[in-house]
Amino acid sequence: MTSTPTGAPNLGARPDEVRRHNRTVLLRRLHIEGPCTRASLAAELGLNRSTIKALVDGLAESGVVEERVPRQRSGAGRPSLLVLPQAHAAVVLAVDIRVEQVSIALVGLGGEILGRNSWNLRVRTREPAEVATHVVDSALLLAADLGVRMVAAGISVPGVVRRSDGFVHEAPNLHWTDVPLGDRLGSVFDMPIMVGNDAELGALAEHLRGSARGSSDAVYVTADVGVGGGVISDGSALRGTAGYLGELGHMVVNPAGRSCYCGSRGCWETEVGERALCRVLGLREGAPRGSVVAELRALAADPAQVRSRLGEFADWLEVGLVNVVNVLGPELVVLGDLFTALPASLIAEVAESVRERSLVSRAVGGTRIVTSTLGADVTLLGAAELAFESVLGAV
Amino acid sequence: MTEPLLELIGINKSFGPVHVLHDVNLTVRAGEVTALVGDNGAGKSTLIKCVAGIHPTDSGEVRFRGEPVHIHSPKDAADLGIEVVYQDLALADNLDVVQNMFLGRERGSGWLMDEFSMERAARETLASLSVRTVKSVRTPVSALSGGQRQTVAIAKAVLWDSKVVLLDEPTAALGVAQTRQVLDLVRRLAEQGLGVVLISHNMADVFEVADRICTLYLGRLVADLPAKETTHSQVVELITAGRSGELGLARPEHVTL
Repeated sequence: MTSTPTGAPNLGARPDEVRRHNRTVLLRRLHIEGPCTRASLAAELGLNRSTIKALVDGLAESGVVEERVPRQRSGAGRPSLLVLPQAHAAVVLAVDIRVEQVSIALVGLGGEILGRNSWNLRVRTREPAEVATHVVDSALLLAADLGVRMVAAGISVPGVVRRSDGFVHEAPNLHWTDVPLGDRLGSVFDMPIMVGNDAELGALAEHLRGSARGSSDAVYVTADVGVGGGVISDGSALRGTAGYLGELGHMVVNPAGRSCYCGSRGCWETEVGERALCRVLGLREGAPRGSVVAELRALAADPAQVRSRLGEFADWLEVGLVNVVNVLGPELVVLGDLFTALPASLIAEVAESVRERSLVSRAVGGTRIVTSTLGADVTLLGAAELAFESVLGAV
Repeated sequence: MTEPLLELIGINKSFGPVHVLHDVNLTVRAGEVTALVGDNGAGKSTLIKCVAGIHPTDSGEVRFRGEPVHIHSPKDAADLGIEVVYQDLALADNLDVVQNMFLGRERGSGWLMDEFSMERAARETLASLSVRTVKSVRTPVSALSGGQRQTVAIAKAVLWDSKVVLLDEPTAALGVAQTRQVLDLVRRLAEQGLGVVLISHNMADVFEVADRICTLYLGRLVADLPAKETTHSQVVELITAGRSGELGLARPEHVTL
């Protein structure tokens, strides 16, 4: 997350670059962790109090932060001023494109969602051009309604995405191939557009704001129609060549399984994705998300039923997670999206067996497996963080 | 698949000589947004009011989770977990958000109301719906925008742990951007596993949030279709003519002139 002030390791830093770097670090701290007193900022960042004062004064002058006397005094002496990030100072557009739905939100500095919108996708409205147009229209409408100006956009796509220019190679469940999404939106919005894979952005959000806060090696596994994963390794995102890492849903787990649209057979996704869940619950494939959630909730009230109806599903979940833990060696696995609707007893049971079965888990003293706490907004928040990455240095 | 949350079977309703609802069957499933569309006077609001206990039905059966129930008053409906949100932003202007959400069902005992617990519950409910547009739960409702008011009205349904939420044109009095926010909330209600019935005149809205589209035509429920497989023009034909191709009312085979 941190880099040298100049960005180039073999060059010295000039004072203005150091200042800029410090300013960005301070802003990131306020953005991620929320309001904080000047004194603790100085302690946390290891900077001089007068340096902090100069930085905060500069930010306050441009309206990015506000200072206030804290309500609760911590000790004797003059209280240190509380520095609050101002949400409206930098507003980014977050877009979460899913297979059946698109959500957009305007997110302010500090991660506050200022306004949001979502709509269902059907066969015709799922065309890339249609989606892009609708995103542009409703984002402009929302921004006008809230009276804010967007400074960057982060977009999540359930597919294989090239990070450098937002080119979507393949989003199979959406039936998208070779869509220049970043360029298309960039030509309309006059601001940086960042496009990322949904699971990768989910991992980012969990790492910064959710259950994986403070753990430097975590894996986020998410299930919608498809299953994907994002990996945080040593505190930063693991990307692989050109950023294509993380298609956990296409690990082959069942040689005798169903054929997958990706061309393979028995992918993990075909056993633990939304369609598989609908199958074991006896719902028709493509049933609305709400009815899957309602069914699972009704089931959770009856522990005997959980094992008998979801047993096979849990076994496949366990097999995949054992593989994930053995290969990636995380200290924490966060299950997101559809997995959060599974009965807690089932998750606990799966977590327990993974701990027993996985060699790596035993070695690291038990990998924890938890569900996401950010709810349905996790990808949206991740997309916002992606956009903020380019913004915090420039505010 | 579990049984539907709410089932209306053969509902009839007349106002004097006017037969408003003819044998209406409607099913509301948990986790689905069911859109109820129809022309003015087709009986949409009447149907909602029958379910809400405002109008008694003449005949027909209402089943809640498979059990036959009798709804004689709005209180019966509320006890079952059926909440109604009306188009005219029906909240008490002089009260704040918390007081409105708990109106008539205040917590506390004897002389003292438990303001703290009510405030916390209201805040938690709004947070669970990721509503972040309402700044403080102690804001008087008169200071809120139309969209925020509807948000509060809908959040009330969640606070009382309702199973079914009926929304009678919740966006009719709102601007475009606010409409979007309310529809987004409607969508998230369903995703939490509630059964949602949405009455709307706006086809674009209906297609954006609904899972199923039920069309009323002159008091008859002529079609109940999955939104994914239905086109815009089919719904418009059903609303205006009661049939579209093979869908809707049967074609009159023998016409005698």
